[in-house]
Amino acid sequence: MTVSQAIGGRKPGRGSIAALMAASLGIILVAAVAQTAGGSYQMTWRQAWDALTDPAVWRQPSVLLRLFFGESFAQAHGFGDMKPLATSTLIVWNVRLPRVLAGLLVGINLSFSGSIFQAVTHNELASPYLLGVSSGAGLAILTVLVLFPAWGPFIPLAAMAGGTLAFLVVYAIAWNRGTSPVRLVLAGVIVGAIAGSLQSGIFFLARDINVMQNALAWTVGSLIGADWRQVRMILPWTIATVVLGISASRDLDLLLLGEANARALGMAVERNRFLLAAVAIMAAGSSVAVAGIVGFVGLIVPHVVRGLVGSAHTRLLLGCLFAGPALMASADAFARLIANPVQIPVGIVTGLLGGVFFLCLMRQRREIGKP
Amino acid sequence: MRNQGLEAERLRLRYDPHGPPVIDDGSLQIPVGKISALIGANGSGKSTLLKALARQLPPESGRIILDGCDIAALAPRQLARKLGILFQEHIAPRDLTVQQLIFHGRYPHLGLFESPTPEDHAAVETALQIADLEGLRHRPLGELSGGQLQLAWIAMALAQSPSYLLLDEPTTFLDIAHQFDVMDLILRLNRKLGKTIVIVVHDLNLAARYADHVFALRAGKLVASGEPSKVMSVDTLRYVFDVEMRMIRNEADQTFFCIPIRRAGPR
Repeated sequence: MTVSQAIGGRKPGRGSIAALMAASLGIILVAAVAQTAGGSYQMTWRQAWDALTDPAVWRQPSVLLRLFFGESFAQAHGFGDMKPLATSTLIVWNVRLPRVLAGLLVGINLSFSGSIFQAVTHNELASPYLLGVSSGAGLAILTVLVLFPAWGPFIPLAAMAGGTLAFLVVYAIAWNRGTSPVRLVLAGVIVGAIAGSLQSGIFFLARDINVMQNALAWTVGSLIGADWRQVRMILPWTIATVVLGISASRDLDLLLLGEANARALGMAVERNRFLLAAVAIMAAGSSVAVAGIVGFVGLIVPHVVRGLVGSAHTRLLLGCLFAGPALMASADAFARLIANPVQIPVGIVTGLLGGVFFLCLMRQRREIGKP
Repeated sequence: MRNQGLEAERLRLRYDPHGPPVIDDGSLQIPVGKISALIGANGSGKSTLLKALARQLPPESGRIILDGCDIAALAPRQLARKLGILFQEHIAPRDLTVQQLIFHGRYPHLGLFESPTPEDHAAVETALQIADLEGLRHRPLGELSGGQLQLAWIAMALAQSPSYLLLDEPTTFLDIAHQFDVMDLILRLNRKLGKTIVIVVHDLNLAARYADHVFALRAGKLVASGEPSKVMSVDTLRYVFDVEMRMIRNEADQTFFCIPIRRAGPR
């Protein structure tokens, strides 16, 4: 039994994709309201809802634009001064909502990245985290932050460059006339460990204790302090990922028939795999740029969604578009509110969830790891 | 009128650049509109030759001409519209349905953002019909028997609508009844749709019964080629397989059978 035959073992129900979307939307909604209401400035759900739907924001396009694009954009376009908003509205719109949105986008990026990597490497254990791509991206970002702070605006690009480099190294190490799932993951873990050590090394170059604390939260993956800047940073890449990923569904499906069959059916296999890996790296890199190294989301979400809706990629990616954000939103709400007023990085929650999930997967599916 | 046909010219193939060639200086011409069988012992290079004919393995030297063009010069989709190949091992998600699998055969006919046209649907329907899989179209591959699975894969290659279809041991691992199902399907593809077919077979009696033309390989060399009744002689088969055979001819329906008797020659 080959690996891809193990991918998507169960028979999906017909209406399951709609149910998955509805359930995910429900989870997102509850998590979002909990996130906007809870925290050090406590509101009732009613107040949070009122702040979200505050007509002072929604009736004035200039207020919305100012919030989304930031103060300097508003000045440059002569929006004039903003009318004062209610405190609860300000907190919801400036702090809590953008964090929720950033989390949703990170969830989309990571689950798309994982789905694409799993098809491209023909390996159901693949994910940006386990392939070392996240760590490579993280190392690149830290290097830029600490050593070349002036390059700040190019952080997503640096992350993608670092992710690409890590992926190429992992592939080169694992390559032995084709790659086995286990070799790839081992190589990914090794490269991840090396990148992790280098990251810790870089911390010590940063003398400021504040920088170190931030950097630490960031290496385990965190949305603490995420605001509209992070949303603006990731949004174009998320849109590109979703459009490219879904439009490549047929190619991703064909890759599940194996390299030889894909080639026999007229696919330029090497070129397409390279381009698709580039999309997955773009998705993971931009997500690391915003939220740091949030582990396991890219592994769990595709697995769960595949089990529910099947392995065909239009359905799988559509499912990930909803389930990825649902996982991130609920994990971040939990991480932020469980020990209020102390905030836990969301990566600790996904790491715990993902680790347990991974163990169950190994227990349950005996064929994993067989050469 | 363009030159029709599939031929190999002075082909040399190897997997390992330091090892010996698997096929050395092989030239052959696949008869158009016929069923050809490649026979030979394990390691004689027949599967390798088949892969090279479908550009799955770039030749070290020599070339393969398909309808007058060197296949190395064809775009991947262009080649896939003319020639299909099925391998011995089938990899697919278990939840993929028969119809979804067959739809993959339309890949070379579809652009990146193109949705399937009525022509694509018609090709899939035809393939389902000919392979007699209409009743199983929504069945996931994981629930099919080995024989049904093989038929589904052949139907996928058929939906590709190639003029040439290459099959690597399509009947291996199947029980006798399913071997007939598969071979009868191959026969229909040839007789009804005029496909040129090349199969690698181990079972000499299947080759004798179904092939119009046989190529016999030994150690990377083509040693005999022609009609089954001519190629499959006791002497040739002894040379190709190192086995003594007895041939039984049935004059009534012009069929013949090979019965292996014992190993011949040195081990």
